[in-house]
Parts: sequence; C-alpha cells; structure tokens
Amino acid sequence: MSIEIRNISKRFGNFVALDDLSLDIPTGELVALLGPSGCGKTTLLRIIAGMETPDAGSVLFGGQEATHVHARERQVGFVFQHYALFRHMSVFENVAFGLRVRPRKERPSEAEIRERVMGLLKLVQLDWLAQRYPSQLSGGQRQRIALARALAVEPKVLLLDEPFGALDTKVRKELRRWLRRLHDEMHISSVFVTHDQEEALEVADRVVVMNRGHIEQIGSPDEVYSSPASPFVYQFLGNVNVFHSRLHGSWAEVEREGEAPTAGSIAFVRPHDIELDVAPLAGGMTAGVRHVHRIGPLVRVELEHDGETIEVELTRERAASLELPVGKTVWIKPRQAKVFAAEATAPAGKQPFLF
Amino acid sequence: MTVRRATAEPRWVRLLLTGVALGFLFLFLVLPLIAVFWEAFAQGAQTYWEALKDSEARSAMLLTLTIAAVVLPFNIAFGVAAAWAIAKFEFRGKSLLTTLIDLPFAVSPVVAGLIFIILFGAQGFFGSWLAANDIKIIFALPGMVLATLFVTFPFVARELIPLMQAQGRDEEEAAISLGASGWQMFWRVTVPNIKWGLMYGVILANARAMGEFGAVSVVSGHIRGETNTLPLHVEILYNEYNQIGAFAAATVLAFLGLVTLVAKTVVEWRMRKETEMLTADLPPEKTELPPTVATERP
Repeated sequence: MSIEIRNISKRFGNFVALDDLSLDIPTGELVALLGPSGCGKTTLLRIIAGMETPDAGSVLFGGQEATHVHARERQVGFVFQHYALFRHMSVFENVAFGLRVRPRKERPSEAEIRERVMGLLKLVQLDWLAQRYPSQLSGGQRQRIALARALAVEPKVLLLDEPFGALDTKVRKELRRWLRRLHDEMHISSVFVTHDQEEALEVADRVVVMNRGHIEQIGSPDEVYSSPASPFVYQFLGNVNVFHSRLHGSWAEVEREGEAPTAGSIAFVRPHDIELDVAPLAGGMTAGVRHVHRIGPLVRVELEHDGETIEVELTRERAASLELPVGKTVWIKPRQAKVFAAEATAPAGKQPFLF
Repeated sequence: MTVRRATAEPRWVRLLLTGVALGFLFLFLVLPLIAVFWEAFAQGAQTYWEALKDSEARSAMLLTLTIAAVVLPFNIAFGVAAAWAIAKFEFRGKSLLTTLIDLPFAVSPVVAGLIFIILFGAQGFFGSWLAANDIKIIFALPGMVLATLFVTFPFVARELIPLMQAQGRDEEEAAISLGASGWQMFWRVTVPNIKWGLMYGVILANARAMGEFGAVSVVSGHIRGETNTLPLHVEILYNEYNQIGAFAAATVLAFLGLVTLVAKTVVEWRMRKETEMLTADLPPEKTELPPTVATERP
C-alpha cells in the first residue's frame, strides 16, 4: 500500500521536529529515512504509525485519508529499536498477540493461530525457540521475533525504527541483507529509519536524506551518493574534504566545472577521488604527509596543506608502491569535485565532516 | 591459604561492623519482640487467650481488618493511575503531582487526622451539612478509612513510578500497533509487567494501614467496641494497667508484622528473580547467515 505524506509539521515545545514535509512512498518499495539524530526521522515514522499526531498536514494510506485513524486500526507493523517484546510472554505468545486481541468474531481459532504463528517463526528461522522467553534470546533473535510479531497481523505497511541499531556490526550486516530478502518475498511497503548511511545505501530501494525536519534529497542509493543535492547530503554520506575555493585559487579543476564559483563557494571532494603522487602532477598542489592510517583494505593518508587537513584514501597496493613516510611532501589533485555556493552550505557548517 | 582481596577491610573491622549491626538489631528489634510475647504470656496461655477472646479485642481486630480491606483497593486504583500518569505521559504540573504524592510522608499523621476533623467535624466546614443529612464521618468508620487512606496512599505509587519509568512505553505502543484496545493493553501487557511491584506496594500499604495510630487516633473518638482499631485498643488497655490485655493485642500486631515481613521477602525475591531474568547474559549471537527466506507462493 502506498503512503503519502502531505505538508506534515510537528513541534515538541520549541523544537521543530518536522517542518512542512511531504513525501510519497510507492507500494512495494523499501525506503530508508536517513539522517543524524534529531533530524525528525523517527518522529515521521511514528506519525505514519499513528503513535504521534502531526500538528498540521495529513497522511494518506493507499490514497485514503488516515491522519486521524487510530494506531490500532492502521494495519501497520511496527518494529522497535529495542524490540519491545512482551517480556512475560513466550516467543509463541508474543507472535500470537496480534491475533488473540482481535474481536471475538474476527479471531482465528486456536488451531489457525498455532499454524500462523509457527509459519511465521519458520519464516524468521526461529521456530525452535517458540517456548522460550525474550530474555533467553540474543539481540538478533529478538529482533527477528519482533519482526514475526509485526507480520502476524498481516500489515499493509511495515515500519522499522532503527531496527538494527542495538546489534553488533556482524549481526547487523547479516540481518539487514536478510530483511531485504524478506521484504522482496512479502510484497509489502517498508519504511525504516537509520542513521547509518552504509545500512541505508545497502538495503533500500530509495533513500530519503533528512536534516532538521526537512528532506534534503530523495533518490536511489546510487543517486544520493554520487550526485548529492546539497552540501549536507555530500557530507553525511561518506567522508569528504571541504575546500574553500577562494583560498585555493590554484584548483583550476574546481573552477572549470562551470558551476560559477564565486568567492566563498565551497568545493567537496571525496577522499578516494583525490590522486596522490610523489612526483609533480600537472595542475596539482603540494601537501605534507601527517599521518598514515591503515584501515583494512584501505590506507587513509592525512595531509596538511595551508594549515588545513586533507584526507586521501588509497588502496593498500598503491600506498605500498608510493612509500609515504610522515613528513614527506607529495602532490595531490582531485579527479572530481562538487561546488556549492557558500550560502547553501551554511546549515551544514564549514568544518570537515568526518566520521 | 585464602586469597585476600586488596579492597577487603581488615578482619577486625568487618567483625566490628557486623557486631554493631547485629547488636543493634537484637537490642531494638528482637528484644522488644521477645518482651511483648513474654509479657503477654506472663500469666499463662489461658489468660492470654481470654484476653484475645474479649469482645472489645475482637471488635478492634475486625475493625482493623475492615479498614485495611476498604483502603487497599483505593490504594491500588490510585497508585496505578498516578504512576501511569507520571511514568508514561508528559504534562504540565507533573513534578507538582510527584511532590504531592509524597505529602503524606512529610506531614505528621496527627495533622492528617486534624485535617479531617476540620473538614468533617461537628464544627468543621461540612459539619452542619453532614449533621443535617445524618451522615457520620468523624468518630465513625468513614473518618478512619479516610485518615488511613491519606497516610497510605503514597506506597503503591512510589513503588510503581520507578518501575514503570524503567519499562518505558514501547511494549504498550507495540500492543496498540498490533491492534489491542486500551483495556487489552492494560490487562495483558501492563499489569503482568508491574504485578510484583504492585504487590510490594500493597504489602507496605497494608502494614501501615493496620499499624496506623496517630491519624486514626484523632478521628476515631475511641468508642470502645466500635471505633477502636487494634493499635488504639493496645493503648487504652495499657493506660488502664491491663498489661496482659495490652500485650496480648500487641502480639497480634507483631504477628501481622512478621507475616508482612515474610510476604515482603517473598515478593522481593520474586522481583529480583524477574529482574535477573530480564537482564540475564545473552547467549552469543549465532553468526551463521539465516538462509534465504523460502515462502511458498500459490
């Protein structure tokens, strides 16, 4: 079922969580709401679920007005970051809950409930845990049970609030691939909230990048990464070097992009888009090696140029062939850069945004 | 050789501290308890039973139990409602409500009793109206129930607020999103989660309700066989130099205290077990990838 969000606003006291936000989520898509904490992504998800009421605007499910439909009638499956399993119920009873609370005439028989629940537990590969209690499960198992519980009521929309946020890296990676496959099998619209750009880029059909209650960009994972619409998106999705073009007049490549760099406009270059050599590069500039970090398959070189820090990422082999002792002077040159006018970058701040 | 941890205190310090604590307990708790039973049985079991079978003693016991039975349901209802409001909602005046709940602990019970005299006494605000309608509150059961209610109402709420705050709203929200009605959510999710905390609060409130002296004394009027609770009965008999009677009634109170203590210990143990269950070390997550979901399509 499609979800349409029309001009939603929500404030908490003086804090503006969502500011006149609109978004269309077509049927069957897996959409990621991505942004830093406090950007309003969870609030938006809770408004879709009916757990918060917007101050203004409306929510439509499948074209039908749903803004004031109570959460229990929205037929959404909600998965919480901390699972929210019913701690005093067995895994089986947790999954059966949504069926048992139905009005008597709609409630399936005990045999049907049993069949449905065991079917869902098989779907999440945990049927052997049916009689356990949530406290006896690992984090990843709990989240799979939470998912089975949400699916038991046959929701039209599945909403997941930082579903893998409380899990460790390895489990998180496995579970998100598994979620992707599950989504494809279930033919359901899913929306998940995350602050992890890698997670959003890997799993989602479409990524909605949010910041301060606004949508910065909507696009496929490839679009938002390779053609960011704003400095914020550029900085949020991956590491980036920030150059103030007025200060770096020697960056002819930047100037030639034809994006009318005025004084004070800012160029963004990804660390892997910078060429580095020990020999002079035409149109390049010099910088001193300050640190060399070896991170798995990559080598991250921290350079200093004019008092500013520039990061360059190289493959292991390339770094080995160059030999880069600390203090050595090298030549650098960006392969591609993106220039934004200075005022566009104001909300994102001017510090290199590294994490 | 025993391993001595670096942080452990010297042996004599530990012995001294334990000794002081145990000595204090013996002097102030065990010894008085023995003294109560000793005095009560000073003239043999026969006299002891006679004192307890006395009609005034029996009516005092009955009244104490009646008051507790009336007060506890109110305590449960108020305590759960207040804790729910404070733990699960944000609203203006929340901190004021939190403070007000503690008021009965801060106010002397005698003052609490006087408040009801001022409100409902013959010369009180509603005195003439009550007299005209022939409703007796002061020097009657309703007044004693009100006074007991006043001094006991913080117990359940104070026990539940931290518990419900720690549990958060996630489970209730999950229940609602799964289609549960408010009532179903309350009985199937909230109540099972708070039942031991609630029990604990009820036990404490019950102990206070049965043992309350000050507030009840002010509003009771001490009418023998009618408005004397067990603690008031003990005082009256003692003032009349009826040692056996006073101490026999006191043994009943002491016995109720011991029952409370046992019940409290059992509930505490259950609560701890439940907390342990909730925070138990998780087994390591299985690292093998769940195979692709295989659902059969029609």
